[in-house]
Amino acid sequence: MAREVFSDMLLGLAVVIVAGASLGVLLMRDAYQKLHFVTPAALVAPVLVTLAVLVQMGMTENTGETCLALFFLVIAGPYLSHATIRAFRVREKGDWRPGSNGEASAEEKELDL
Amino acid sequence: MVLGFAAAAIAMLIALIPAGIVLCRGDLAATVVAFEFITAVIVMVLALLAQAFQRPSLFELPVLLAVLMFGSGLVFVRAMERWL
Repeated sequence: MAREVFSDMLLGLAVVIVAGASLGVLLMRDAYQKLHFVTPAALVAPVLVTLAVLVQMGMTENTGETCLALFFLVIAGPYLSHATIRAFRVREKGDWRPGSNGEASAEEKELDL
Repeated sequence: MVLGFAAAAIAMLIALIPAGIVLCRGDLAATVVAFEFITAVIVMVLALLAQAFQRPSLFELPVLLAVLMFGSGLVFVRAMERWL
């Protein structure tokens, strides 16, 4: 009984995170801001779901395969975010490196990039 | 059937609606972000459904999708960077 309650709490938390992140993707202004909300859904919520399966089933084959999916998500998420941001910059400025086209934005100058 | 997992899978699918709106109506960059978001959530939904229906063989689907998400996402952003 306690296992089920704890598992349901973890699942509820995962659902809340996904719902909030989905709203963030909808409400944020540009793609750079929207991309921040992919990370909670791609990293935090899968950890919670894997924990819920672990709590419910213990160390079984199902848990192992869920951990494997989580592993791939955790590895892929940061690479994919980086590649996406890079693609956005290349589309906007022609090169992803700051100041490579001869002019840096005011924000970049402030941050000394 | 494990009810909690099925309910969580359905709730996550409903939670995808705002991202689906961005996917359908946003500009190209926002659409790519929505695509990545939805793919990541669908990996979880598949794992939740496999657990809900107690079918161990279905657990291979989220693993496969997680691997394919990486490849397809990179192909998508590279195409966007160069040609779109």
